[in-house]
Amino acid sequence: MKTIIVVSVVTLVVLALFPQIHFANAQLGQKTSEKQYINLRAEVWNEFFRMTTAAFVVGAIVSGTMIWLVWRFRESNPKNKTPTRWEKFDDPTTGTYEEGGH
Amino acid sequence: MVLELRKPRPVWQIMFSTHHTDVALLYTITGLAFLFMAGVLALMIRTHLFFPGQGILISDPATFNRIFTVHGLTMLFLFALPFAAGIGNYLVPIMVRYKDMAYPKLNAVAFWMNPIGGALLWLGFSDTSWVSYAPYSVIRAPGPAADMMIFGLKILGISSILSSINFVVTILKCKHPDLPLRQVPLFAWSILTVSLMTLVAMPSYAASLIMLLTDRLGVSGFFNPSAGGDPIAYLHLFWFTFHPEVYIFLLPAIGMMYELIPRFSRKPLFSQASGIFAFVMLGLIGFASWGHHMYSTGMDFTTKVVFMIGTLAAVPASGMHVFNFLATMWGGRIRFAAPMKFAVGGIALFFSAGAGGVLNSAMPLDFITHGTYWVVGHMHLFLTGTIAFGFVAMAYYMFPFITGRMYSEKLANIHFVGMMWGTVQVFFTQHLLGLEGMARRIYDYPAEYTSWVELNQIATVGAWILGGSFVFFLANLIYSVAKGKEANMDDPFGLGGKYYYPYQAKNPTHHTGY
Repeated sequence: MKTIIVVSVVTLVVLALFPQIHFANAQLGQKTSEKQYINLRAEVWNEFFRMTTAAFVVGAIVSGTMIWLVWRFRESNPKNKTPTRWEKFDDPTTGTYEEGGH
Repeated sequence: MVLELRKPRPVWQIMFSTHHTDVALLYTITGLAFLFMAGVLALMIRTHLFFPGQGILISDPATFNRIFTVHGLTMLFLFALPFAAGIGNYLVPIMVRYKDMAYPKLNAVAFWMNPIGGALLWLGFSDTSWVSYAPYSVIRAPGPAADMMIFGLKILGISSILSSINFVVTILKCKHPDLPLRQVPLFAWSILTVSLMTLVAMPSYAASLIMLLTDRLGVSGFFNPSAGGDPIAYLHLFWFTFHPEVYIFLLPAIGMMYELIPRFSRKPLFSQASGIFAFVMLGLIGFASWGHHMYSTGMDFTTKVVFMIGTLAAVPASGMHVFNFLATMWGGRIRFAAPMKFAVGGIALFFSAGAGGVLNSAMPLDFITHGTYWVVGHMHLFLTGTIAFGFVAMAYYMFPFITGRMYSEKLANIHFVGMMWGTVQVFFTQHLLGLEGMARRIYDYPAEYTSWVELNQIATVGAWILGGSFVFFLANLIYSVAKGKEANMDDPFGLGGKYYYPYQAKNPTHHTGY
């Protein structure tokens, strides 16, 4: 529990610092406030396109994986007729990966 | 867990009971009843927009405004929140191995505030839209409708706070001493997270409602520009509550999927710790993004960037849930009964809704889509595509445990296909309508704008399909309660093994949890 809280707080701190460091660097080479504003907008658009590209690539991979998972691991798939090793237990969902349930 | 529908019991005995399963039944039925009522309003709106310039079904703009206001308020406050509280009431005490909720009477009181709040919203039929932005809601919105809405929301807010206190105390203080918090099932974790979020978020909205009311009464001018007030202050108070509220609606649906996916994959959950971490992260990040609803209000650049990054920070945590689901399904032997179909459908649409959210949060695109049908499509894709899918999945899953009978799988399949098809058709099309420039909340539009006409008609047909699928849902519930097959209460879905929670509820000495 403590680990989860510590990791959550550290992640939040990193996330909070990231934009400040990023935009502080972008401001270094600029002189007037007007120029700075325009360039920062361009920065945001660039960031947006990079993130959108990443999001769509990841989305396509994950969605494709999910479609394959649904097709491959459905119980009616001929390759999937044998009961899994967890089904011999009273509750097959007992345990998790961390606790050696897998 | 069988909820006395088969055992003859006077209705008043259930109504005035404080037992958690009775209160849960009341919450669930109330939530579903309001879902159907608000759904009828949605169909009226969509059917009206099918015929531009003709005023069919809704004859004047004021009535149109009232209809979409009550539709939104009902879906959010009288369906989503009570339904999640209902399932929470059923499962949380069992999951933490306690006999009931921590404060059973408070639990019943919190429930009974819902019909009262609902009656005020429906009898008032306000026209302010669910957000009630100032200054319209202060200086122009007709009373007593707007005042009744404020009182209704106040009561519903207090109900949320009371039930949140109850869930937090039940989970943290009443759980069995042998059960470490990290091993509490993830559905209970989702309820714990949203309860804590409610306690932090709700006071801001409660304050803004009082300020709105005193402004309307003319004794203050917090949001009234002519009295020196600032309408933007209302937006900050409102969205400080209601962006976290998005997660308060969403996380219980994710928690329900955590309950269903291992069960129907017949294997253990992949990772409990990452699920907890992602819930906690979303609970915190939910408070870092309210400003993205207000980019166009003249915020300074740095603030907008901070809110943009704050919003995008939700992506990794949301992704952790999805990867956890996929890793759990991997290597399983998945039975696609109705609950699993809806759960997997909800995950698929969660992706599309999330992608829309990434685009919304980027401020340059936000300026283009602000106040358009894009936003309507996005929020509905989340609310219907993920949250309602999760809730419907859970409704089917709980059905045999509540009634002792099985629902009709055939009708449930028709419901699934119709709901999936309808959701995609209505809400994807609304995104396109937004990019075409159609503003949200408009009563009519010119018939000469052919692209708007076509897209509106496509969306409306989708809404009819979606609405039709819910007719099958309702018919299934009513028919199966009365004439459904007797369910095998140890294993109603034929998955093998013993169902942990319902089985444990009936056999308190049995425990095989994680």
